[in-house]
Amino acid sequence: MAKILEVKGLTKQYDKVLAADKVSFDIEEGEIFALIGPNGAGKTTTIRMISTLLIPTDGDAVIAGNSVVKHPEKIREDITYLPDEAGAYKNMTGIKYLRFMAGLFTSDIEKINAYVERAKNMCGLGDRLNDKIGTYSRGMARKLLLSRAVMTKPKLAILDEPTSGLDVLNAIEIRKMIKKLAAEEKMSFLLSSHNMLEIEFVSDRVGIIAKGHLMVTGKPEELKERYGASNLEEVFERVVKNSEVH
Amino acid sequence: MKFINLLKKELSEIITVQMIATMGVLIVVFMMMGNLMSGAIDSVVEDATNPKINICDLDDTELTDSLINGLKDAGAEITEISVNSDNYAAVLKENKIKNLIIIPDGFTESVENKEKPKLISVSKMESAATLANITNDNSGAASFINNCVTNIVAQQTGMSMEDIDLITNPIEVDENTVVADKTANISISTITAKLASQSSMLPIVLFVLIMLTSQSLITSVSNEKIDKTLETLLSAPVSRVSIITAKMLAAAIAALLNAVVMMVGFLVFMKDITNGVTEQLGEVVGESLSVDKALDVLGLNLSVGQYILVGIQFFVTMMICLSVSIILGSLVNDAKSAQTAILPITIIVMFPYVITLLTDVNALSTVPRILINAIPFTHSFTAMSNLMFGNVKMFAIGLGYQILVFAVCLFIALKLFKSDKILTLSLNFGKKKKKVQTED
Repeated sequence: MAKILEVKGLTKQYDKVLAADKVSFDIEEGEIFALIGPNGAGKTTTIRMISTLLIPTDGDAVIAGNSVVKHPEKIREDITYLPDEAGAYKNMTGIKYLRFMAGLFTSDIEKINAYVERAKNMCGLGDRLNDKIGTYSRGMARKLLLSRAVMTKPKLAILDEPTSGLDVLNAIEIRKMIKKLAAEEKMSFLLSSHNMLEIEFVSDRVGIIAKGHLMVTGKPEELKERYGASNLEEVFERVVKNSEVH
Repeated sequence: MKFINLLKKELSEIITVQMIATMGVLIVVFMMMGNLMSGAIDSVVEDATNPKINICDLDDTELTDSLINGLKDAGAEITEISVNSDNYAAVLKENKIKNLIIIPDGFTESVENKEKPKLISVSKMESAATLANITNDNSGAASFINNCVTNIVAQQTGMSMEDIDLITNPIEVDENTVVADKTANISISTITAKLASQSSMLPIVLFVLIMLTSQSLITSVSNEKIDKTLETLLSAPVSRVSIITAKMLAAAIAALLNAVVMMVGFLVFMKDITNGVTEQLGEVVGESLSVDKALDVLGLNLSVGQYILVGIQFFVTMMICLSVSIILGSLVNDAKSAQTAILPITIIVMFPYVITLLTDVNALSTVPRILINAIPFTHSFTAMSNLMFGNVKMFAIGLGYQILVFAVCLFIALKLFKSDKILTLSLNFGKKKKKVQTED
């Protein structure tokens, strides 16, 4: 499988805080990779650097052959980013929002229509798309935003805490959508979550991150076996304890 | 195409139903204010033409009767009141009146003895408003009585009215006003009053527009940041310059709409007031026309070209405000700070606005003049005056300075949007600490 993303020693130093320290991993085509760790571990910083929102202090990330440091504008054509707890324009209707976002990726009306149609089918909001986003429930808004993030068939969809704040049923639905897109359309995903149990079900591989360091990467099953754990939470606990001992 | 898409979205965010409704309400308010003022002026004019005078004649002589009849012949509506005490407040209250002239006992005797007779004038003050107190003022009636007594004194002393006039007004002042190299035969106070009534509107409109558009842009940018829609926009394949330009252009269009509405509203308001005066006092129009002619002679009426120059300067002013608003909005991280973020703009606009209302900045001593001129918005408020009085060099320097300030502000705004500072830097307005944000 071809590598869609190669992260090489990404580092972000704020004034006194080292938010990400030489983070390296890669994602293959059609793969779902999840960065997991507690709040403040460095997940969002890493994701924001890959999304071209933050400029790395050191290191680089290459997406489909383009560097986030040298050619961020090219990267933006190949990715979509869904921030954690992102909102949308509350006075816009759902359909207008989709059309507006599609218009940022292409000027071709036919493509815009195709993107919007795809998002309409995926979000399952039906006639509610004609209502203002301000009237949506949290789950509805998240489905709208998620369908926006995948409607352009990006090479890499970056989703920060995609199911945060959602009830179980909505979260399951979104996880299924992600898995389906990766399997059927070979779309690659970079997810982040502090919910390690949930991520175990959706991701092909995970990277455990704590205090800005990417401790270990691997398939959930491999990691559980390697650390003799029954779930990813236990893996995380053992990885962090081992690193403190060493 | 992508830019149009962004612009449409920004316009739909700024020009909302609420904003259009507000503009409609503004027009209605101006019309209502105009009608209200027109009514008030009508009433003042009516009272000035046919004043209602309450008189208590304690002297009750042939002379005082003739004075009262004279007032009646001059169009005054006289009501005779009986007063038994010097508690004037109680007298006014008891008779439900707002003014009173008392001709005291001995008035005629004083006139006959060539002594200064005393006339008591009582006026009720109901508020600090100018119009509210005009009709309560007895000065017109007192002046009339004064003239009548002057006539009597003239007859007693064998002087003609011309002699009296020569004594009271021994010199005739031929007032001339000079602007640059032009001279007009008119008093400087008349010109100043006319200019004040003509040019007071534009700075007010500009001031209100600056506040409105700055607040709407700060709110727009800060909302994007708070809702994280800005992150989505910045990670999309669209240039940062387009994002900023679309935001500023949409705010400028909204400002233009507001400006048109405010100007129309103000014109309706002024028209109602002017009609109120001109319909009743034809002679005032004559005077006003001669003032207009004098303004032409002095070159104080701006040409179309000069109005365009003022318009350009106002546009640059708006652009400075918008670029500063983009910067301030970008530094805000919560809704509360967004509300106070406009404070720096308010201060640096309010200060020169008030100063230019009170004095001529160019006439100040060197240090205060330099300090006040260093505030870019000073030049917006002095633009009209500079062009009127031929200070073209000062106008050009001001415009050039504003363009420079705009370029610097725009550069900072672009730099902010192109760097990651827009997501990491935050100034908590109203709080003490400047902090750099970090996240997971």
